[in-house]
Formats: sequence, C-alpha cells, structure tokens
Amino acid sequence: MDNLEDKIAYHRAVEHDVLSAMKNPSPLYWVGLLVSAACFALGMSLWGYQIWKGMGVSGLNNPVGWGVYITDFVFWVGIAHSGTLISAVLFLFRARFRSAFNRSAEAMTVFAVMTAGLFPLIHLGRTWFFFWLLPYPNQRLLWVNFRSPLMWDVFAVSTYFTISAVFFFVGMIPDLAIAKRFHNGVRKWLYSVLSLGWVGSFRQWKHYSKLYMFLAAFATPLVVSVHSVVSWDFAMSVLPGWHTTIFAPYFVAGAIFSGTAMVITLVVPMRKIFRLHHHITIDHFESIAKILLFTSLLVTYSYFVEFGLALYSGNVYESGAFLYRLVGDYRYLYWGMLICNSLVPLTLFVRRWRRSIPFLYVLSILVNIGMWLERFVIIVTSLSKDFDPYAWGLYKPALVEAGITLGSFGFFFMLFLLFTKLLPVVAISELKEVADE
Amino acid sequence: MNRREFVRLMGLASSASLLSSCGLERETEKLIPYLVPPDDGVVPGVSVHFNTTCTECPAGCGVSAKVMDRRAAKLEGIETHPVNEGALCIRGQASISTLYHPDRLRHPFIKDGQGDFQQTTWDNAYSIITDALKNASGDKTGSGVDPKPRKHVFLSGRTTGTFSEAVDSFCKETGVERLPEFEFYPYSAIREANRILFGRAQVPSYRIDEADLVLSIGADLFETFVNPVSFAAQFGRSKKRSSFGWIHLEPHVSLTGLQAKERHTIAPGGEIYLLSHLLREVSKVNVAGDRHIAGMAELLPDLLPRGFAEKTGLGVETLDALSRRLIRARRPLVIAGGVSTMQPSGLDVAVLTGLLQWATGMLGGTVRFEEAVDYDRVGSFRDVEQLEQRLESGDIGVLFLCRVDPFGTTAGGSGSHTLVKLKDNFEKATLRIGMGEFMTKTLEMCDVVLPLSHTLESWGDARPRGDILSVVQPAVEPIHDTRSDGDVLIQLTRAYQGAATALSYQEFLIGRLKVRHGSATIEKLLSEGFVKRRVEPLTVTLDRDALTHHLRRIIYDDSHVKPVLVVAPSIRFFDGRSRGLPLLSEIPDPLTTVSYGGWVSISEATAEELTVKDTDEVTVSVSGWKTALPVKIQKGLPRGVMMIQWASHDDTPFDFDRMSGEMMTIYEGAAIAKTGRSVAIPALSGSLTPEGRKVIPYLGEEDQHHHGESEGHPTFYPKHEHKDYRWGMVIDLDLCIGCSACAAACYIENNIPVVGAKLHLDGREMSWIRIEPVYAEEGDNVEFLPMLCQHCENAPCETVCPVYATYHNPEGLNAQVYNRCVGTRYCSNNCPYKVRRFNWFDFKRPDDKNATVNPEVSIRGKGVMEKCTFCIQRIRGARDTAKDEKRKIKDGEVIPACAQTCPTNAIHFGNLEDETTEVGRLAKSERAFQALGFLGTDPGVYYLRGVWKKVHG
Repeated sequence: MDNLEDKIAYHRAVEHDVLSAMKNPSPLYWVGLLVSAACFALGMSLWGYQIWKGMGVSGLNNPVGWGVYITDFVFWVGIAHSGTLISAVLFLFRARFRSAFNRSAEAMTVFAVMTAGLFPLIHLGRTWFFFWLLPYPNQRLLWVNFRSPLMWDVFAVSTYFTISAVFFFVGMIPDLAIAKRFHNGVRKWLYSVLSLGWVGSFRQWKHYSKLYMFLAAFATPLVVSVHSVVSWDFAMSVLPGWHTTIFAPYFVAGAIFSGTAMVITLVVPMRKIFRLHHHITIDHFESIAKILLFTSLLVTYSYFVEFGLALYSGNVYESGAFLYRLVGDYRYLYWGMLICNSLVPLTLFVRRWRRSIPFLYVLSILVNIGMWLERFVIIVTSLSKDFDPYAWGLYKPALVEAGITLGSFGFFFMLFLLFTKLLPVVAISELKEVADE
Repeated sequence: MNRREFVRLMGLASSASLLSSCGLERETEKLIPYLVPPDDGVVPGVSVHFNTTCTECPAGCGVSAKVMDRRAAKLEGIETHPVNEGALCIRGQASISTLYHPDRLRHPFIKDGQGDFQQTTWDNAYSIITDALKNASGDKTGSGVDPKPRKHVFLSGRTTGTFSEAVDSFCKETGVERLPEFEFYPYSAIREANRILFGRAQVPSYRIDEADLVLSIGADLFETFVNPVSFAAQFGRSKKRSSFGWIHLEPHVSLTGLQAKERHTIAPGGEIYLLSHLLREVSKVNVAGDRHIAGMAELLPDLLPRGFAEKTGLGVETLDALSRRLIRARRPLVIAGGVSTMQPSGLDVAVLTGLLQWATGMLGGTVRFEEAVDYDRVGSFRDVEQLEQRLESGDIGVLFLCRVDPFGTTAGGSGSHTLVKLKDNFEKATLRIGMGEFMTKTLEMCDVVLPLSHTLESWGDARPRGDILSVVQPAVEPIHDTRSDGDVLIQLTRAYQGAATALSYQEFLIGRLKVRHGSATIEKLLSEGFVKRRVEPLTVTLDRDALTHHLRRIIYDDSHVKPVLVVAPSIRFFDGRSRGLPLLSEIPDPLTTVSYGGWVSISEATAEELTVKDTDEVTVSVSGWKTALPVKIQKGLPRGVMMIQWASHDDTPFDFDRMSGEMMTIYEGAAIAKTGRSVAIPALSGSLTPEGRKVIPYLGEEDQHHHGESEGHPTFYPKHEHKDYRWGMVIDLDLCIGCSACAAACYIENNIPVVGAKLHLDGREMSWIRIEPVYAEEGDNVEFLPMLCQHCENAPCETVCPVYATYHNPEGLNAQVYNRCVGTRYCSNNCPYKVRRFNWFDFKRPDDKNATVNPEVSIRGKGVMEKCTFCIQRIRGARDTAKDEKRKIKDGEVIPACAQTCPTNAIHFGNLEDETTEVGRLAKSERAFQALGFLGTDPGVYYLRGVWKKVHG
C-alpha cells in the first residue's frame, strides 16, 4: 500500500469493521449472553448450596480430596496461558500474525484467570475464611505457611492476573481513543476516561511502545512461572503420579496447548459473527495450528517420559499409579485424553487440514476436552490409589460439581461476550501498523 | 471542610467507635474460682469415676464410668478386674451410647384397642398388671368364663447375683412361674455334656494363661464365646511365653482362627472324628491311673489314620502331629465351642471334649469348675419350644418378658421354626408385659411396656464367675421416667400384695449383700467395683455309666451335604442385642471391612464356580429359609462353605439341636444362586491384599530388614527439637487380634460422628483409627494393622497446609488446629497413610442434647479436617497433674483411649525421647518397623512385626 489514499481507506475500513462489531447486538448475541449468564447464576447458586450444606454435596471423599474443582482450576489457568503467549511472546518475537488474535487472547487470559481464581475458593471447606490464605498482619500473630505450594499459588495467580490485566489494558489504550471518536453519551465518556487522554502524539507513542515492550517482557516469564507453580501443587507432594520433576515443563506445555486451542475455539465464531475475515485470515490460523501441533508433541513427549520413568523405576507405587491410569477404573478417560491430545493433533502435519477452519474448530474443542481430561486423570487417579491399599477408593463427580463447572464456562463466556460489545475486539492500531509496513 | 476539621472529625468518629466496642458485653461474667466446693459435689470440668459392671453381654466385665458435669462420658475397663483386666470390647465401649439414645423408652406404655401404644403412668401400668395377675382364669374379655386356669410366667435373659434372688422373691410373692432364662447363646451343649460327664451342668472357666498348648475347636474365643475380653487378655499375656502354642480348628474362617499359631480347616461335622482320634491316641498313652479311658476309647470308632484324615479333612500328618503335641504338652487346654458345639453333632463334640479334658488332666488346672461361669438358670431352646407349646394350648396367662428379644434378629421373614411359632402363639397369652430399654420387635408385641433404666442409672450386681462378685451402681440420675428392673419387681410386688420386703431395690441389694458378705466387703465392692474370693479346689468325678451310655448313642453320620452355610457369631452384634447401637455398624467387621448391612462370605472357589465377584447378589437358602445377599469373597474359606454372620441383617436362619437345645449354626445342603443384580456394600477397604505395596514391609518377603529405614533421609528442614517429650506409640502386630475395641473407644472418647451407610458407600467414614486386615496374597494368613495418624516427624501434611492448621508441636505431635483449618484437604491428599478425616457436613449427633459428648474434646464443624490427636486431652491432663506436683510426666501416665481398651495390650504409648520408657525400648526392638518408612516420614508410631505365628514350636 504505497498510496496514501489507499492507506487511509484501509485504516478507515479497519476502524469501521472492528468498531461496528461493537454495535447493535444481534438477537443471537442476546441469547448467548443470557444463556451464559444463566449458567453462571446456576453455578453461583450451587456454590451457595455447597457452602450451606458442606463439601459433601460434591463427589469428593476420603482418598480423593480434590476432583473436578481443582481440575477446573488447572484447566482455566491453562486456558489463561496462551493469551500471554500470543500477545507477549509473539510480540517479542515480532510474529506479525499475532495482531489478529492478540486482543481476544489477552481478554481470554484475563477472564480465564478470573474464572480460575474462583475455584480455589469454591473448593475450600470453609470458604468464608479464604482471607486466611493471605499474609496480612494481625494481632493474633498468625502467618501463612510459605512452604505450602498452595501459598505459592496465591501469589503466582494473583501476580499473573495483575500483569495480564495491565497488559490487556495498556495495549488497548490507543484503540479506546479511536473508539471514543465513534461513540456518544456514556460510552464516549467511558472510553475517554479509559483512554487516559490518549491523542496519539509522537511522545505518547514513544512511551507507549516502551511500556508495551516492557510489559511483554515482564509477562513472558510469568507464562512459565505460573503454570510451573500450579504444577508444583502436585509435584511437591509425595503421591506417586504427582511427585515428579517433569511436571513443571509438562504443565507449561500443556497450558500453552490448551490455551491455543481455546483461542481457536473463541476466534472462529467471533471472526464469523463480526465478519473479520479480512483481518483474521487462514494464514493466521495456520500459524496458530502450528503452535498447537508443536505443543501437542511436547505434551505427548511428556506422557511418554512420565510413563517410561515410572515403569523403569522398578518402584511398585510409581508403576502401579501409571498402570492404574492406563488400565484402571478411569482408563476410558485416559484413553480419551491420549486420543484428543496426542493422536488427533497429528493430523495437523497435513497442510490442507491445518488450513481448514471447520476442522481446526472441531480439533480445538477436542483438545480442550482432552486437556480437561488430562488434569482430571492426573488428579483423581493418583489420589484414588496411592500407598495404602486399604484406603483406596473411587471418586465420581456429583451434579453440583458439574453445575459449578458449567457455571464457570457461563462466567467466562459471559465476560467474553460483554467484552466483544464493550471493547475493540481486534487491535486496530496494530493492524494499521502491520498494513503500513 | 478543611484538613484540620477533617482530622478532628475522624478522631472523634474513631474514638467513639472504639469506646463503644470496648463496653461490657452481655455474656461477660465474672470468673471466680471455687473457694467452697458446690454442695452437690459437681465441679464443672472435673470428672469422677464410678466402678460398675458392663451389662452389654453376659460376660460381666468391670467398668469404670467417667462422669463429668453429671453426664456419663466414657466407659473403661477396671484395671484390676479379674474378668477383663482393664480392657473392654467393641460392644462394651459402644454400650454407653444407649444411655442417651434418642430411641430409649421414656414412659410406660399400654396398647389401646387399635393396637397403638399410649403413654401411661407407672401406677396405671402396675394396676393393669396386678389385675391381670389376680385374674388367674385368663378371661380376656371379661364376659365369659374360661374354665382353664392359666399360669403366669416370667421370662428373662440371663440373670446372676442378687437380681436373680429378686426375681425369685417376686415370683414367689405373686404366684408367677419363673421360666428358664432365654439366651441365644446358652452354651447348653457344653452344659449338657458336663452334666452327663460330671453331673455339673456348667460352663467351666478356661485358663488359657496357664496352658502351654491350646487346642481350640470352633470356639469363637474373641468374638462371643463366654467372655471374649478375658480370653483376649489371657492370649495377650500367653503369647509372650515362648512355650505357648495354639492350634485352632474350624470349618469356616473366624477372627479367632486367624489369630492362632496354626489354623486348620476341619470338615463340617468332622469334629467328632478328630476328638475320637485324639481320645484313642491319648488312651494309648494314659493306660494306668484313675483317669484311664481305655475302655471308653473302645466305644469310639476305630478308623485307621487315613480314615480319620478323610473324615476330618485334615492330613494324616496333621492329625498325627496334633495328637503327639497334645500328649507331649504339660498343661494342655482343649476348648470346643462356637460353631462346633452349635451343630447337629454339637452335644457329642462337647461330650468328647469333656472326656478329653478329663483324660488329659485339664480339670482343676486349665479347665476349672470351681470358677464356673454362672449359666445355672439359663435354659435352652428346648425350653423355648415348651413355652411355645404352652402358649398354643392356652396355658399361659400373664407373660413377663424382661430384657429378652427372641424376635429381634430372626423370625422376620422366612422359616417356620420355633421362634416363628412362638411369635404366632404370642397373642394367646392373656397379657404380655415387656420390660426393656428400647422398643424391640418383641416389645412391640406386648400389651404393657415398662421402660427400664440403663445400667448406669441402676443398682445391681453380677456374678460373672463363681469367684467374682461385681457391683452395678448408678453413675447418673435416671434421664427419663424409667425404673431399674429390680425396682420394678419390688414395686410390682408391693402393688400386688400391698407390701414388699424392701423399699427399693437398692435397699434389697445392700441388705442381701450385707447378710452374705458383711459390710466391709460392700465398701470394697462399691469403691473397687468387684470382690474376688478364694475358691476351694473341686474334685470332679467322671460318671462312667452316663458317659458310656452316651458314647454308645453317638451316631457317626458322615453324610454331610455340601454346600454348608455357617451362621458365624458376630463380634459386633453378639446375639443380636447389640444391633441397635449405631456405632457397631459404623465400625467395620474386621474380616471383611463391611460396615453396614448383611453379606454372605463365599470361598474363592465358589465365586469362580458361580462367576460372581464382590457385591454381586446371590440368593442363599437352607431348608425353609431363603434370602438375597451381596457376596463378599473370603480368603481361606474352604470350598463348599458359605458364611453369614448372626444378626448382621434382619433375617438370619434359625434352628436348634433337639438333643442339647443349642442354637444351630451349621446348615447342610444350602443352595446358592446368582440373581444377576449387584448390591453396593460398604466395604471400607479398597483392597484386602497388599497389592504388592509394602505397608507392612515384611509381608511376602521374610528376610529383609526394614528397621530404621527412614533414618538418614536428606531433608532441607532442620530437625525438630523435643525438649522433654516426643510422644510415640508402639503397636505389637503379634498381639493385635483385630477386635476393633480401639476404634470404638476412639469414637466415644473423641466425639467422632457416626455417619451412616450412605456416607460409607461414598467413602466418607470418619474413624480416626481403623483395623486394616492385610491378607497375604497367597494362603490365608492375615495381619491386622491398626492404622491411625502416624504423627510423622517429617509429616507430609504439615508442609502443604497453607495456613499452619496442622503443624508439628514441640512434643512431637502432629497437631491439628480445627479453628485455623480452611479445608483445602491438601493435607489429606498428601498423607501416605490416608488417616485424615474431612467433615463433609455438619454431622448431627443422634443422642439427646449432645449428651454423650466428651466435654474434654471439641466438636468439629463442617469443612474442617480432623484426625487422631494421640488423645491430646489426656496428655494435657497428665501434664497438668505433673506440673502441680512439679515433676515430669511418668511413663504410663498417659494412656490414649485405644491403648486403654486394648484387650491384649497391643498398643503402648509414651515418650520416645526417653529410651528408658516402654515405647523407647520397644521402638529399638529388632521387630520394630515404621509403616511406609522408606518415604522418610519417620512416623512416631512404630509397629512390631508379627513373628509369633511364623515360629512353629
């Protein structure tokens, strides 16, 4: 685009396309929003019921103290990951294709961390004392136990939330200023407040670029640290099947894998509904699919290593735990996980399938399911059969847990739908920038 | 508003709110220590102990009832009591929960025209009864004239001591006929055999602790037989003697059998052949002297060793070894009982056993009639049959039923036996008067129901053995409008004839005791709970004629039809009377770990033949009885033998032996068929075999030495410093018999909720200590592993708790701060022993107003983790005492509830830091190991590996 007029026309088109996505919600949107909100309300009321009656309304029991809630927690933290990855890491690597996705990926991150953050509270036996997990000074001289991985979780997740929220917001400032121009009334006022007096001056851009770069650099290690810490919830324990050094890299790879899949799951319908075909192209999807394939291979490698080490160890507890996963009571879930996470993604080696959006969409959902199963299998099978055969027992999730999980999806999608109508879903200024180069 | 004004206003507002919150709160009261003790002697928080007697079963164990704030909180065995030696069984521990049970009868009831119970007054009930007693014609309607005079009868459970005299006096004064007493386990075969042999229809006492070889045949010594706690205690002591051997023979699998040094499976009905063989062999040796039995041995069948081996199902070598060892033993003891005397040839088994006891010189030594167990007034099922016939013929007028429940465990569904007929003819008595504490199936059929006081509310005495007198004294005031059985009889006498011999049963009792024993004895009795008197040695003579007559009559019938159904006595429910105690269902059966509901145990071979697995439902039937039950596969059970537990479910088969009047426990020609359904049974164990895991490290590999494995594990954390104490426990697996008394004691002491069958199926039982049966993968060997919080020095639970709700206290306890717990359950996940228990709900206590709560232990609310504390309240109590006396806690001063009640003294507790203490010494033993020690947790609980069974002497 050498021609200035073309450039301006293109900029106008970008602004128009993106900002018109924020207008006039369709009936379908309202239905979607209502359904999500209803699910969320259901989840919250079930949580209330659980607080009222006690944790016994879940399916948890004696050997299996953690189940669906912690699975959900790890799942949502995992989802949160590729937001930062796509935004920050790809930004640092100057991967152009990120511009199409980064805003929704960042939004996804923030909302997924918010959703994930609910679960540690939900799974507490005495939720009303959740603040005891925070190290606040008090006259009873009670302090928290910094040796506990759960304590590390508190810090890891809250840090991650703070950084990703700031990163999300800072990246949006120029677009908010554009949005301000196209709106009236309350929204205009809102955007002008949020855009912090952005006028697009050279000085502002200079500071902005520095800050954005700095935040991207700051967020990148968090991708590794947060999920490493989450994995240590398990790896720091003594349980066979949990207590293993590969957990941190394995969980990080898994998190990026599931997060990338979630990006596809979200962006495909968004692109269709908001008609962003010009800006989010097949090439972009192919690049994302390559990340998916790569992380799938990493995860599969971890499965092999984990299994090989356990069998090679000659330790009856270790090999017992892994054989139990493979052929025990939860074998169908484990096999399902292997199919979704290791087998199906191999199809991405084929270029034609990598570039087929319907195929990618189905695949992304399968990966989401597979990764949820992975966490469930890791958590539940290790607890259900550990050291003392007398104490072995099975866990079956209860309806309340299913309902609260549904509620978490409701919460996430509700936030995401609100985001699509309230904030620019694609980074306008970045698209312009990419077009200019 | 300027800055100064703002600061001023803020200051005012904050000081105002501070002041207002510092004011007197409504609940604040002044705390003043007692200078003058309260008049009634009840000091809050200070417990008093009353020595009394447990009446949960007829054994008569001495118990000390702890009463705090006027409430009975716990029962514990009296240390010096000769029956139980300080211990108490699972039922005895659980029995306190009847006292405050919400279902207890609170008033007298009479049945109205519609058959509903209406509350009434005692006086009214008495007047109805006396009217009926005076109206001997038995005219029910009051209109016509019934020509036949009817007899009034009094039927009770086993009574001993003064109460028995009170019954006699009541019966005499009111013209009531006293029937032979009713018991499901009357030991009538043994008593009848001893009558034939020696002219003494008694159950002798067996001195296991004086024997060097015990040969037990079918006797369920640790479950229900005569006095299980006493037997367990004697075994506990005897096992430490190197000369002590114990061989057990049984047709099924029992807790007792699995504890024997050698256990042999005998073919059902094979006992008479075994005994014949032994008698023949003994007679060959013992030819001279006054105990020669050669002539009588001639009357026994002479099968060659191979013949005996075939009939008994034992090998020729085994039979040979048995007889050789019996002859060689200096002080042998042969006991036949349980399923072996409760079968078609039961009387013959008892007679042959008696003869063997006589021939080998056990009488007066290991078998003593001078200390005979008092079953003198107990009848048999022949008497029950007679009562049924008398009822049918319209002979019975007023029928008193005192603490008996013949219909409670059987006569429910199928069968057409005596008890069913008794039930059918029950109506034919003119007036039925039921006396008891709970509305049982029997009491439901009565016209007048008189609520009796609990033992802890009553006066009484018991004479469990010839040489022991044990007192029953009230520990608490009666809670409801109930009266003790003695008082009811005296008041009834007074109502009947206007006067009675005593004002109250207390007066009657003290009067009688004074006359018999003198005041000094009474004082000792009341303070110590019992008196033991010396008994003169007794010479027992053999009635050769009666014996010869009986020996000639024995029918050696070996046409036994398999499969055989064994109705085994249950350690938890006794004869069915303990079924109502919820705690006994909550604690699992030690062999199968099934808690609630019934099941049928089948052998692995039978399971294979039927292609059934655990929880599959089958129908089991014997002639006239049929039921559907889930299956539980029992290791060690021989092919063709099935097993259910008496009273473990609503309808157990019943029949009795016409010869002895003993209840039958072995039913031939049983049938079993698959229904295709599956029934969830709460079996608490995930697996009964080690599955290759080494919780007990040596099981399966004899030679490896695992002691001290946890030493020298690298750690980042500094070692815990223990200034004075590191509390620890040593549990001797040789001595643990799996009786589960510890679990019951723990439930009561620590206010652990009873959660019920549904939560057990969900895997949410709350027990702090559990008995894990660990069956060897091959063979029928089993070890019982009591599993409780191991109080690890490097506790995995402590590092993962984010809020320090669980932490290591300076005395080595793994402490749990309930108030701080937020309920992450991370500690439980990370516990390799899985001994932590989470409160899934707010568990409501079933008793009245939380009355059975031990006030020294807090109750945990929902969302909180709990576990064994090593009875920290007792440690605190001991420390307070020690501090007052300016000294350290002495060894043995702190005894946790589990250790206190253990009949075999398998559990030791004390300070591991001090090597001179008992635990300090035992933990250094060659046999000591720590469960899962390789993990480096360094538990404060040491186990002593079981070696006794492996050393064949």
